[in-house]
Amino acid sequence: METTVSRFLKVVLVVAALVAVVWLLSAIRSTIVLLVISALLAYILDPFASYLEFKGLSRTSATILIFLALGGVVFSLFYFLIPALSHEIASLQKGLDGKTTSQLFDNIEGFIKETIPLLKGQDLNLQAEMQKGIQNMAESLFAILVNLVPLFTSVIIIPFAVFFLLKDGRDMKKHLVSLVPNRYFEMTLNLLHKMDIQLGGYLRGQFVDSTIIGVLAIGALWILDVPYFVLIGIFAGLANMIPYVGPFSGAVVAIFTVLFSHGSGQEVLYVALAFLIIQLIDNVLVQPLVLARSVDLHPLTIIFAIIIGGQFFGMIGMLVAVPTAGIIKVTAIEAYNSARRFNLI
Amino acid sequence: MSDEALWANIFKQKNVVKENMFTVLKRIPVFQDLGYKELRAVERILHRRHYKQDEIIFRENEPGVGMYIIEHGKVHITVGRENKLLVLLSNGDFFGEMALILSGKRTASAIAHEETSLLGFFQPDLFNLMETNPKIGNKIMFRLSQMIAERLRLGTLENRQLKARLNVLQSELETLKKGKKD
Repeated sequence: METTVSRFLKVVLVVAALVAVVWLLSAIRSTIVLLVISALLAYILDPFASYLEFKGLSRTSATILIFLALGGVVFSLFYFLIPALSHEIASLQKGLDGKTTSQLFDNIEGFIKETIPLLKGQDLNLQAEMQKGIQNMAESLFAILVNLVPLFTSVIIIPFAVFFLLKDGRDMKKHLVSLVPNRYFEMTLNLLHKMDIQLGGYLRGQFVDSTIIGVLAIGALWILDVPYFVLIGIFAGLANMIPYVGPFSGAVVAIFTVLFSHGSGQEVLYVALAFLIIQLIDNVLVQPLVLARSVDLHPLTIIFAIIIGGQFFGMIGMLVAVPTAGIIKVTAIEAYNSARRFNLI
Repeated sequence: MSDEALWANIFKQKNVVKENMFTVLKRIPVFQDLGYKELRAVERILHRRHYKQDEIIFRENEPGVGMYIIEHGKVHITVGRENKLLVLLSNGDFFGEMALILSGKRTASAIAHEETSLLGFFQPDLFNLMETNPKIGNKIMFRLSQMIAERLRLGTLENRQLKARLNVLQSELETLKKGKKD
């Protein structure tokens, strides 16, 4: 009798502890996002630090050097891009308020109503919807992190965390591994190494690929004199991480922008051609070189990962959803394989 | 007498079990060529593990990824189901170094014979070291290959002797057979 009572008590305690942990995790969700972003950044930067170490620098000086270089890049980004960006977003909003745009939307609405009889008599209010969408985009672009934690904290905390994760990450990993019981120790070490090989290639590849596509898109759109080329380029680069849908959405946004800014059919053709060429370059040149190790995810997995990421963490969640799904997949597969090899299951 | 022994005489009583990590590392052939500073770098990637008496360090046929150095304590190396004792290792000895290069299955089991503290040196860390500090990595790799080449040489010699012995025995057997026939 007593044993059943104590067992029941144990179960209750374990469940209570689990609930407490889950509650705690969801309560500090925004902080976890910050930590995950910092860890991802530190992980992507790790080979640079190792390379500098190989060149004879200590880990600390290597980290400081990387931060100085990154600081330079970020500063010049702010210096050159932010004025252009804010100008773009401001003019985007103004452009949608304008009279000519109003007319354009009326035309489109009329066209849609004519072709789809079901919608006749309904007020689609396309312009207002579009404006709302743009407003949301402007907000989320500038306040991607503001939604979660005040921008101030993120701007301070993320570089701070990245710095120390980059500098002391290996020691931290060693200390964590030292907590693993003897029985599972060698397996854990091996597992971490294998995951590192797979994920490192995958995440760094995604990062480099997105950057190259973003830069190419910005350049192409700039040459074609498409308005808001910086915004669209950044979007195309980020969206490129999402297989199948991503590459299209960048092109679609660019084409719509050309249409709304009264571009001719020729211009649309050029933009479409530019994106086609960028995709070709990506598929033929960049991806085979950069994405050596792909973490084959099923399209359905990707779509659901993005939806779930969006539900939990908004914009940021959608962006990190695909890499996170990749991480979970590799971890699960490698953990299962190791456990089998070590006769644990 | 090396100077370590001289220092050891000053700082240690005769039957001290625990040794300085450096003196332990210095005696491992793999780390022989390393200077003080380089040993510090190696120390940073070693994992110190503690084992209770009779605790299993690794099992035969499980995948292995590295070698262990006995900081202090005693370790049984055994094979087979009935745990046939191959050798008893103690302070400053090392085992499992083959797994550093060939990450295959362990060919024997290792069991702590008493309270034991080990220093683990593993393949992923060796790879990292070779990447970030190739000088140290090369020195270690060279010693490792030397050790394995030496073992191969011994193995070849033993093989040759055994073959010669086999030939002798075979010819003896044949003369015996002939003798029976006649």
